[in-house]
Amino acid sequence: MRMTAPSTSRVVIVGLATVALLGLAVILGLVVGPTPIATGRIVGDAVSHLGWGHSTLTSLQSTIVWQLRAPRMVLGLLAGSMLAVAGGTYQGVFRNPLADPYLLGVAAGAGLGATLAIVNVGVGASVPVWTPWLAFAGAMVAVGATWFIGARGLNSTPATLVLAGVAVSALFTSAQTFLQQQSSTQSIARVYIWLLGSLASANWGSVQIVVPYVAVCVVVCLFAARALDVMSVGDEEARSLGLSVRSVRLLVVGASSLGTAAIVSVVGLIGFVGIIVPHIVRLLVGTSYRRILPISVVFGAAFLVLCDTVARTVMAPSELPLGVVTAVVGAPVFVVILSLRRWGTT
Amino acid sequence: MGDDVTMVNLSHVGLRAGATTLVRDVSLEVAPATWCTIIGPNGAGKTSLVSALAGLRTLSSGHVTIDGQRLDRLNERARARVVAYVAQHPEIPPGMSVHEYVSLGRIAFHGVMRPPSAADRAIVDGVLERLELANFRHRAGTSLSGGERQRMVLARALAQSTKVLVLDEPISGLDVRHQMDLLELLKKEVSECGLTVIATLHDLTLASLFTDRLVLLDHGDVVLDGAAHDVIQSAEMQRSYGVALRVVSIEGGDVVVPVRHVHP
Repeated sequence: MRMTAPSTSRVVIVGLATVALLGLAVILGLVVGPTPIATGRIVGDAVSHLGWGHSTLTSLQSTIVWQLRAPRMVLGLLAGSMLAVAGGTYQGVFRNPLADPYLLGVAAGAGLGATLAIVNVGVGASVPVWTPWLAFAGAMVAVGATWFIGARGLNSTPATLVLAGVAVSALFTSAQTFLQQQSSTQSIARVYIWLLGSLASANWGSVQIVVPYVAVCVVVCLFAARALDVMSVGDEEARSLGLSVRSVRLLVVGASSLGTAAIVSVVGLIGFVGIIVPHIVRLLVGTSYRRILPISVVFGAAFLVLCDTVARTVMAPSELPLGVVTAVVGAPVFVVILSLRRWGTT
Repeated sequence: MGDDVTMVNLSHVGLRAGATTLVRDVSLEVAPATWCTIIGPNGAGKTSLVSALAGLRTLSSGHVTIDGQRLDRLNERARARVVAYVAQHPEIPPGMSVHEYVSLGRIAFHGVMRPPSAADRAIVDGVLERLELANFRHRAGTSLSGGERQRMVLARALAQSTKVLVLDEPISGLDVRHQMDLLELLKKEVSECGLTVIATLHDLTLASLFTDRLVLLDHGDVVLDGAAHDVIQSAEMQRSYGVALRVVSIEGGDVVVPVRHVHP
């Protein structure tokens, strides 16, 4: 047990180190790939777009960097930030260390929506273009159903909401399994690949789609950090301190679910980011959400881009599914955290 | 009793949990700068009544008025400026420092979107000094001893700067010295700062030693209400608790002793 709360200098050092890690992730995201392009030339090209100096990149290299790697890297930053901040927020709002952004059925809903698109509507070898929209709709329907079942009435608690999420997830997952069982092997393979998550199909269009959701949701979650600190004393005491617990819960769960649904609909299900990133940050800077959430935004972004860099290089020219890499990195880290922490019942 | 001498007013308060009646038609008036303790056997409805007094439960009937304001007409933030509450088993978030924890008491004043003002920080510092917690301000609350921890919880409630403080079993789990220390602290807040305290206590001796007034609750009804000495001496006490009690006077204070019946 930590005897003293983390000092300000420690928090500043961790914050700066996280920003440096983000810088490294951005550089690796742009530089690493099957076509070797030096960092200096990429920087020179970026500066030339601002009107200074001349680019030394060929047209093909410029396309590779700015139309393939850059949107993929930016989408990774957005996805990592969103999943990490949503996970941290859920852990705070439900006072449950095992909460992740998929707790209330986002994953199951998105999975069912994507499966519907791919299995029943999709033709040909690729995933239909409307898959993200059906995935997004499925995710929002699932979270809406969870909220409708679990958060109504005077006797609703965080536990009833979580249990409703479990029930809704089970229902949506069983429907998805049924659809898959009725479909062709090729469709099952495409659904499976989608479910594992990937940034491979990233482009500036997909970035544009998710930016507003992620921006709004991250801002809401960051502004809710102080309220989450108050909620850490329990619902009743938080109310006695002057916090409208139900309103805060509705706001942050709504924002987190919306942002997560937007991300999941574009990149698929990427596990572990939402659960391990806030826990690692918590170990480093203590339990205040005013420290955990901002640093998780930056660390989550860096973590996912670094994992994606591994995913697309370790077995090049083919790619590992991003969800596999985050799980391979995340699972051992998570086990270590579990063994280090002595969580009480929440 | 007129409004000018009433700080807390319970008017025909009823509480239910489903079909079960927890508290039935309780009416009480508590004067400012006094200490009223609610006693009674387990299951009497004490915790339900004090959480209603703190505005944390929906009443099935009646209303609670504090300092002229009906609690059911206030939102959470306004209510937290009127009455502070200490739960029986307060949750101390792991890793949260004493200063951070006590500062939670100012949330109702600066809100969750803004940091504490200089005035908020000064009030927190003042409470930490007054309760001799200033040296622990950077310590994690969970690393404190039971007595220090309970003092920290009291400090959080006092940081709310309310005129009324409601406490549910504030001394449970403390040894006798820390029980006395905490109750002396509360007594000082009542006599020197004009705080109105409403608490539940299981220890009848300590309740009679520190309290101006005792309210005996049994099965959700007020059975007795009066000066501590009169209530403690009453035969109703023994009936409600279902045990023989003797009251011994030691140095002017009433000491309540249970009598053990040994069957031959």
